[in-house]
Amino acid sequence: MKSKKSQIYKEASTLPSIVPPWLAAVLSAIVPGLGQALARAIQRGLVIFFSFISIVGLLIWRFTDAAPRDEGAFDIIRKAFRLEPIFVLISIVFVIFYIWIIIDAYQMAKIAGKPEKRKPIVVMVFLILVFFVIGWQIGQIDVYAFVTKFGDAFPAISRVLWPWERAITYPEEMWMGTAALETPCDDTQPPPTEPLDDKPYLIVDPTCGIPSIQVDQEDNSIEVIPGTTIHVEGYNFTPDKEVEIWWKDPAISQFRHREGGDILRVIPDEKGYFETEITWPYRLIPDSYLEGGANWELQGRQVTTIGDWEFSAELKMAIEKMIETIFIGMMATFFGIILALPFSFLAARNLMRTNAFTLGIYYLVRGVLNIIRSIEPLIWAIIAIIIVGLGPFAGILALVVHSIAALGKLYSEAIESIDPGPIEAVTATGANWLQTIMYGVIPQIIPPFVSFTIYRWDINIRMSTVIGLVGGGGIGYLLTQWIRMLDYSAAGIAVWFIAITVALLDYISAEIRERFV
Amino acid sequence: MLEIRNLTKIYEDGTLAVDNVSFTVPDGEFLVVIGLSGSGKSTLLRCINRLIDPTEGEIIWNGEDLAKLEGDDLRHARRKIGMVFQHFNLVDRSSVLTNILTGRLGYSKTWPTMLHRFPKVDREKAWQTLERLGIEDQAHKLARELSGGQQQRVGIARALMQDPELMLADEPVASLDPVLAHSILQHLEDLNQEDGLTIICSLHYLDLVQRYSTSVIGLKEGKLVYQGTKKDIRNMTDEEFKLIYGEEAIRISDTSLEGSLGEVVEQ
Repeated sequence: MKSKKSQIYKEASTLPSIVPPWLAAVLSAIVPGLGQALARAIQRGLVIFFSFISIVGLLIWRFTDAAPRDEGAFDIIRKAFRLEPIFVLISIVFVIFYIWIIIDAYQMAKIAGKPEKRKPIVVMVFLILVFFVIGWQIGQIDVYAFVTKFGDAFPAISRVLWPWERAITYPEEMWMGTAALETPCDDTQPPPTEPLDDKPYLIVDPTCGIPSIQVDQEDNSIEVIPGTTIHVEGYNFTPDKEVEIWWKDPAISQFRHREGGDILRVIPDEKGYFETEITWPYRLIPDSYLEGGANWELQGRQVTTIGDWEFSAELKMAIEKMIETIFIGMMATFFGIILALPFSFLAARNLMRTNAFTLGIYYLVRGVLNIIRSIEPLIWAIIAIIIVGLGPFAGILALVVHSIAALGKLYSEAIESIDPGPIEAVTATGANWLQTIMYGVIPQIIPPFVSFTIYRWDINIRMSTVIGLVGGGGIGYLLTQWIRMLDYSAAGIAVWFIAITVALLDYISAEIRERFV
Repeated sequence: MLEIRNLTKIYEDGTLAVDNVSFTVPDGEFLVVIGLSGSGKSTLLRCINRLIDPTEGEIIWNGEDLAKLEGDDLRHARRKIGMVFQHFNLVDRSSVLTNILTGRLGYSKTWPTMLHRFPKVDREKAWQTLERLGIEDQAHKLARELSGGQQQRVGIARALMQDPELMLADEPVASLDPVLAHSILQHLEDLNQEDGLTIICSLHYLDLVQRYSTSVIGLKEGKLVYQGTKKDIRNMTDEEFKLIYGEEAIRISDTSLEGSLGEVVEQ
C-alpha cells in the first residue's frame, strides 16, 4: 500500500510543471503554496499553505491583542512595534518566509520533472523560527526578569529549603501586673495596689485623674488636652524582659499604651522592678459606661518563655496530615484494586472476543476506562468535593476513580499477555472454568498485578499530595494554606515531609517489587 | 478403542486444518502421527480431547461420541485423557507439586481447590508420580526453574495424575535434545507397555517413530495420507515418503538400516 503510494508520487514528480516558473511565483505570492502545488509538489504546497495561514492567524491575534484600542492595520502594527519590539523580529522572519515561498514556487516549477531535488530544510528552519518567536511572545517569556528578579525568591526558597527552626517552639506564658484607676477623682478613689509576694503588680500614683481630652477646633483640627500624668512602678516582673503597658478602659476594651505614637515598652531591672511616667490617654467611650464614675485598669504585660522546647503546632499538623495523605493513597489503591479487577477481565480482549456481544462489552469498557483515565485526578477531586464536601473522602474518591481506570487498563493488558498454553493444559485435565482461572490464569497474572498495584500505590500517594491542593484533604491542603499565608517555613516543613515520604515509598516499592515479582 | 470418523476442522478464518480423517486406535496402541508442521497433527490431537471443537465428524471412545459432549460430561471424559505438550504448558510461577496436582482438578471438589487444598490421597499420589519420573527432589521448585527435560517430566506427571486411559502427546520431544527425547519417549513407552495406556503421539524424527511406535498415520494438509505399522515404517517407500513430506523433501539416511537416523529436511 505504502510502496504503491510512493510509486504514484514518484511518477507524478517526473511530470513537468503545469504552469511556467514565473506564473508559479506569482500564484504563490497570491495564494502561498499554490505555485508549488501546480509545480506538482502538492504535499509541499499544502504544508506551505497551512503553515502560512496559521502564522497569519497567530500574527493577527497577537497584534490585535497587543494593541486592543487601535483600529486599522497600520495603527495596530505601529503600536505593537512600539510596545513590544519582538514583533519587529517576528515580522522580519515572516516577510523572509513569504519571499522564500515565492522563490521556492519559481524554482520548484523550474525543476519539476527533472531529477533535481530541493530539500525543504530552509522552509523547516523558517517555520520553526516563526513559531518559536510567536511562541516566545505568546508565552510572555521574559528572561531578563527571570534573571534579575531571581534573588527575590531567595528568602522564600531558603525558608522552604531549611524550615526546621519552625519545627520547634518554646512554650510562652504571659505575666501581668495590674493597678486600678478611677476618673474623675472623688471620695471613693481606689486604694493603692496591695503588694503581692510572687506575682507582678503595679503601683500607680495618683490612683485617680482625668484622661486626655480631644477638642474639635473651628478649623476642623483637633486639640488634645493632656490628661493626668501617672507615675507607674512595677514589681516582681521577670528581670531584663520587655514589659508592655496596656490599658483596660471602662468599656472593657484593652489597648496598648502609646507615648508619642510609639508603643511603650519598659525593661525591668535585675530585681524585676521598673518605673515610668505615662499620660492618661484619650479614649472615646460611650456615656453609658461613664455613669457614677469610670473604672480603668493599667496593666504591665510580660511574655516569657518557660520550660524546654517542644515540637511546634505546624510540625505536628504536618505529621498528622502526612499520615492522612498516606492513608488516602492506601485506601484509594485498595478500593481501586477491588473495583478495577472485574473491569480488567471485561477489558481483556483474549477473554472477550468469544462473540460479538462480549466484544461489544470489551470496546465499551475499554472506551469508558480510557475516558476516565484521560481526566486528571485533580478534576475528579473537584467533582468529588461537590458531592461529599472538602476533606480526605473527596480525595479518596478522586483517586479511586482514576485508579480504577489506570489499573483496569494495566491489569487487562497483563491478562491479555498471558500464555494460553497452561490454560489449555489445565482445561485438558478436566478442570472446570473456576479451577482453570485459579490454576491456569491467576498464577500468571499475580506478578504483573502486584507490580502494577505497587506502582499505582506509589502514584496515589504522590497524587494525594496534589489532590489536597483543591481541598481533597491530606498534606496538600495544608501546603496550599501555608503558601497562601506566605508562611514559607511551615510550607517548607510540608514539602520536606512530602519529599521524604515519596523517597521512602520509592525505595519500599522497589524492594517489594524485587521480592515478589 | 478410539474411533475417529470423518473428522473435519475448519477454522473461523477458513483454514481447513483436518480434512475428513478416519482411523481407529485399538487399546494399548502407541500410535504416532507424522507429517510436516501445519499438516494438522496438533489440531487432530486437540480435537480428540476437545480443546478444539471439530467442525464435523465423530470421535467414538468407549462407546461415547466425544464430539457431542458438553459441560460436565465433557470434563469427565477429559479426565481420562492425559495430554503432554511440545512447550510443556506448565504454569511457570507455580511449584512443580502444584503443577502436578493440577492433574487431579477434574476429580476434586471445586471449593477446596480454590484454597489449594487437595485430599491426602492425591498428595501421596503426586509424590509417587514424582518418584516414578525421578523428579521428587524438584517438587518444591518453581516450574520455570527446571530444565526442559525435567519440565516435560512434570508435564507427563501431571497427565498421569489424571489416571488416564488415553494419552495425547503433541510433539512432546520437539523442544528437547536427542538424548532427552529418548528419555521422555521411554517414559511414554513404559506407560504404554507397563500400564497398558493407549498413546497417540505426534513426532518429527523417523528414527524415533520406528523405535517407539506400534502403528503410524501420516497427515498432509489435513488429509490422512498414510497408515501403517512399525514394520511398514521401516520399509517405507520413497513414494510414501514423498506423499507425506512433499516432493521437495529428501531422505537423508537409509531407513532400512536399523538404528540409523531418519531425518526429514525441507529444501
